[in-house]
Amino acid sequence: MTGRVIVITSGKGGVGKTTTNANIGTALARAGNKVVMIDTDLGLRNLDLLLGLENRIVYTIVDVVEKRCKLKQALVKDKKNPNLCLLAAAQTRDKSAITEEQLKDICEKLKKDFDFILVDCPAGIEQGFQNAIAGASEAIVVTTPEMSAVRDADRIIGLLEAKEEIKSYKLLINRVRPNLIKTNDMMSVDDVVEILSTDLIGIIPEDTGIITSTNKGEPIVNDEKSLAGIAYNNVARRIMGEDVPFLNLEEETSVIAKVKKFFSNLIGKEK
Amino acid sequence: MSENILKELCNRVLNLFKQTETKEENAKDVACNRLRVVLMQDRTNLTPELLQRMRTELIELLSKYVEMDKDALELNLDQEDGQMALMLSIPVIRAKDEEEIEKALAADKNKETSEDSENEEDDDDDDNDNESDDGNSDENTNNESEEDIEITEESESQQEENSEQPEQHNENQENNG
Repeated sequence: MTGRVIVITSGKGGVGKTTTNANIGTALARAGNKVVMIDTDLGLRNLDLLLGLENRIVYTIVDVVEKRCKLKQALVKDKKNPNLCLLAAAQTRDKSAITEEQLKDICEKLKKDFDFILVDCPAGIEQGFQNAIAGASEAIVVTTPEMSAVRDADRIIGLLEAKEEIKSYKLLINRVRPNLIKTNDMMSVDDVVEILSTDLIGIIPEDTGIITSTNKGEPIVNDEKSLAGIAYNNVARRIMGEDVPFLNLEEETSVIAKVKKFFSNLIGKEK
Repeated sequence: MSENILKELCNRVLNLFKQTETKEENAKDVACNRLRVVLMQDRTNLTPELLQRMRTELIELLSKYVEMDKDALELNLDQEDGQMALMLSIPVIRAKDEEEIEKALAADKNKETSEDSENEEDDDDDDNDNESDDGNSDENTNNESEEDIEITEESESQQEENSEQPEQHNENQENNG
């Protein structure tokens, strides 16, 4: 088995890297893939919280690097899905505790046992970012339709382009608010794509369900009724090579339209 | 009385709506435009200060050959099909005649020889800062400036009558310089 190493990055903090990571990872695992997620945000780990695994962490990536445990011992299995694992970041150390080489080495080892290795990248473009992209050959750049997030995404795209090992990178636009786009108060998905001239892999609508799902430690893809959950599932399917049309969010402004769309989606799936 | 007040109030409210509809650019367009400018600067490392400096230097250079509307001169970074370009638009009032150009060049030479020793260090810095972006942008700027000049040369004959104007302008320039 040779797994694909995908780094999920954004430049700016708070745009939903970790949420994206947790959801895509869970969706990929639900589809039957063996998935491991690596949290490289040393000192500011959160992926464990989003997955509800914070109480199960015994060893972290730093323990692996410093040889206090074997790599397999440090992998925390998901509560629900045995296909899904987490390699947690150390909370008490900083970014200098691991090197690019060490992360590359870990990715290489994990490739043998997993279909997908998702690397959760810290915000910023410093060493933490360099570490996170070291072992990856694909990248997903998360942004929101806000100026600061798009600007930072542009920086990240520039850095990814300069990195030979990154063979492809795609754009995921998070927290899209169709109502604001309709009144011309927010940049549309097309605007962002045009400005960054990067291919899209996902459009995720703003969804209050994200807050409750984070609070419960349960990724929103497990909730099949949520629009954001459907959108994240679609991203996972696209990663697996399926050709899935993007949800047309801009049409769905009323609740009734949303409900209609949801049912038509359901029917579409069953066919 | 009360009717009038009501009417005026109605009008004011209506005007308010009109103003917000027509005058104000919507937030999305503002964001897009601001982003485009800032990304262009990020990608090229051309800061607004550097652009301003280029602008002043260009005005200085071109003023020797043409009389232009300095305030309306536009120097912008633009992007077409993923290719970055420096767009220079120069509203030319009229092209200068040979005598004026010679004069300006001579004045420039004098200035150079007298100021050379003082400014040597500064000049070096400028060169280094702009070097990286020279490649793509030069062609575009040249093309556009040529076009502008051509257009105004046609209208030269009309403006030649005002023979006093250019002299005044020259004086201004010397003062500026």
